[in-house]
Amino acid sequence: MSEMWINMGPQHPMTHGLWNLRVRVDGEVVLDVDPEMGYLHRGIEKISEDRHYNEVVTLMDRTCYVAGLAWEHLFITAAERALHIEPPERAVWIRMMTEEFQRIGSHIMWYAAFVQDIGLMSPFLYGMRDRDLILDLFQSYTGARLTYEYNRVGGTRNDLPSGFTDRARKVCDWLEDRFREYDTLCLASDIFHKRCDGLGRLKASDCVRLGVTGPMIRSAGLKRDLRKDRPYHAYDQVQFDVAVAEGADVTARYLVRMEEMRQSLRILRQCFDWLDRHPGPVVAENLPRWLGAPYAPVGREGYLLKRNYPKGVGFSAVEEPHGEALAYIVNEGGEHPYRVKLKSPVFTNISAARHYLVGYRVADIPPIMGSVDVCIGEVDR
Amino acid sequence: MDEKAATERLRSQLSTRFPAGILAVEPFPGTLGRVRFDPALALDLFRELRDVHGFTHLGMVAGIDWVQEREVVYTLWSDERRVYLFLSTLLPADRARIESATAIWPSADWHERETWELVDIQFDHHPDLRHLLLPTGYQFHPLLRSFKLHEPEDLEVKVRNV
Amino acid sequence: MSPITLYSVSNGLVSWVLHALYNVFPHPWFDWLVNGDLILVLSVLVFGAILLAASMVNTIMLIWWERKLLGRFMDRRGAMHVGYAGLLQNFADGFKLFSKNTYRPAEADPIGFYAAPTAYMVTSLFIFAILPASTGWTAGALPLSLLLALVVFSFAPLFIFISAWSQANKYSLIGGMRSAAQMIAYEVPILLAVVAVVIVAGTFDLNAIVQMQQNYWFWIPLFFAMIVFTTGMLAEMERIPFDLPEAEAELVEGWNTEYGGMLFAFFMFTDYLRSLIGSFLVVLLFLGGWTMPSWVPSPLTTFPLAGLAWFLVKTYAVFGVFVWIRASLPRVRTDQLLRIGWMRMVPLALFSIILAAALVLVKCLPVLGCLPPVGG
Repeated sequence: MSEMWINMGPQHPMTHGLWNLRVRVDGEVVLDVDPEMGYLHRGIEKISEDRHYNEVVTLMDRTCYVAGLAWEHLFITAAERALHIEPPERAVWIRMMTEEFQRIGSHIMWYAAFVQDIGLMSPFLYGMRDRDLILDLFQSYTGARLTYEYNRVGGTRNDLPSGFTDRARKVCDWLEDRFREYDTLCLASDIFHKRCDGLGRLKASDCVRLGVTGPMIRSAGLKRDLRKDRPYHAYDQVQFDVAVAEGADVTARYLVRMEEMRQSLRILRQCFDWLDRHPGPVVAENLPRWLGAPYAPVGREGYLLKRNYPKGVGFSAVEEPHGEALAYIVNEGGEHPYRVKLKSPVFTNISAARHYLVGYRVADIPPIMGSVDVCIGEVDR
Repeated sequence: MDEKAATERLRSQLSTRFPAGILAVEPFPGTLGRVRFDPALALDLFRELRDVHGFTHLGMVAGIDWVQEREVVYTLWSDERRVYLFLSTLLPADRARIESATAIWPSADWHERETWELVDIQFDHHPDLRHLLLPTGYQFHPLLRSFKLHEPEDLEVKVRNV
Repeated sequence: MSPITLYSVSNGLVSWVLHALYNVFPHPWFDWLVNGDLILVLSVLVFGAILLAASMVNTIMLIWWERKLLGRFMDRRGAMHVGYAGLLQNFADGFKLFSKNTYRPAEADPIGFYAAPTAYMVTSLFIFAILPASTGWTAGALPLSLLLALVVFSFAPLFIFISAWSQANKYSLIGGMRSAAQMIAYEVPILLAVVAVVIVAGTFDLNAIVQMQQNYWFWIPLFFAMIVFTTGMLAEMERIPFDLPEAEAELVEGWNTEYGGMLFAFFMFTDYLRSLIGSFLVVLLFLGGWTMPSWVPSPLTTFPLAGLAWFLVKTYAVFGVFVWIRASLPRVRTDQLLRIGWMRMVPLALFSIILAAALVLVKCLPVLGCLPPVGG
């Protein structure tokens, strides 16, 4: 068969999101790759310039819908720095606990989709069942399973319900057993290793050069994790290890994410202990009046509503489940942000596709792209 | 404290290396600082920062429209020093061109494509400057201040079908 | 054995109906009703119709069994609402497909497009006339029934290839070629495993093969041949772990992309039909067909249709193992699949042929001591 360009997408069960992976193949072998993004571009950054800070939180849920709360934290931390507001400590620990639960939820979602792609059908449903436990916990204090809108500038919307930490501890114990079962289904399977070992190699120097972050760079042996390197929230007050693997292939990324889930359980248990011992407010005191009213009237003219609020620039970097996410917010003293710039880890990970897809077969693309853990909402914004 | 001292040290090092072109090195809480530089200095500054100061990772490239001028913001990360550094440059709105950073950091590729299509900043010597998130042939640059979200009804939008 | 065969049942039914009709008008003008030719023709047709109905209903029940069992493996219940416990679900699905329009793409070859799935299904249905499900199930003696069944079974890759080509879609063509290559590659180990069985049994007649398993079933001496045969059948049925040609996530498209409506139903149905045939063959060749061990109390094995019932129980159990495999294993890539076929299955099959030949020569099992000879 001569060379031809094949479209994998935009409607394709493998792609996990709306994008088009154009692949130039010669028979079975991949010669070149050209990802086409933008099918899910909703103009979130532009819309944010027209919205109140607390209203932008709604949009952040929808950037990465699998890990919505992590993106809320990203935006809210940057917004708080831009507006010179400090959240109370309990809010910070609740955010950290939420982010670790979100990490486990996102990784379970990754696991379910990844094994489904290589043909294991049952763990997809086991993963969904277990992720439902986490979503039930979320629902108990944020009120929603997917679009949470839980964070506000200055803290969170409400405190945890009573008895939450007991239920959460039970969920963590259950999940610990489940992770062992997931490993048995995959690592003990010869076929899994035949499909995944040695695939999609992206060695550490290439990762650094191409800006790849997250489990992909940790699977290449480089120990880069923003929670340890530049601690935010309260990560410097909890003990955990960074999951690193050698090999830089699909199996290594699998191992890294499974280990990250276990470390998240460790962090969570420390969070529960702290939260039990330290009751307190979850919203900062002395918030400016206009921040407390999310439905303040919006002027029709122009983008700068002069409110004489001190200007500022806010930057936050978060170790999102997919990698390093950045937010840069310019505040020109108005109710709306002047510019919201978000950077998604999957954006850079997909841009490096040429380096880890070329030379493999077409049938290898689903395991490799599955190990990259694609979430298009945050790429396109 | 430590952050301010580090920023000061960086300022002195960069000013010695580039007598002209470094407009300011300001403190930026949580990072090593923000370097305001002249656009003509771009590639040399990038190379210096990557090779000498160890900023091997380009986090993001952001474009901001200030109506009269446009700002390009680079975010760098150093693994050894574990710290972020911001670079910022102002370009005149009628001639918004700057050298592409892909020669130094290949990861700038998609970031610069997105910055061009949203804020209309040309990156010279970029290998493949075309639309990324917007449809091919889209003739607007949406994140400019002149692109208003609430359009008058008589505006005609032409988008080429691919 | 028993004088009641399926053919005699249909013959009796037809002649009873025709004689009753003749008794209504006993006139020499209607002699042709009962003079034998019409009875012969009609009883053959009724025989065929009973076989067709039985095989089709069994296939649909097989789909139900798979859906429910697969669901339980996945911690869910499968189809629940249509009929009691979802028994009528697949009839409803078939009816839905039946009621859809069938479109042919303009560039598709008209003859190949329609003829290939039809031929695919018809030849697979034909095999049910040859496979015995119980004593007396077939009409008369077929000394080469096993050979005929395997030959017709292996027509399938040809029809898949014709349909893939006639769709005028390069991705379907790739998928069809891949699928045909997989099926043809696994014919060889299957046939070699069957050779081992034939060496031990000494005949190609499926009835005789089953009767020879009175004392103990063939999976005991021919364990490796059973492994090879079962693995080969999994590849022939295109089930996980060998279902790459139809795995949607891997391919851009599969080999039945351009088909919709009833033609697609033909393909889906024939896939399960071939799964049923594969399970039948495993039970007939290795698990004793309809015979049961002597320690099963005789009332359970001598009531009419006992053999048929036990045969179906065994078939569904074998298919249940296939479903279990589907629920637990990932899929293998095409080149790895072919490597397994040629590098692992064929040597194992050759080894079991040698073992079978040694068995026939020596006529006793060294491990278990000298058992009574096979057959009786």
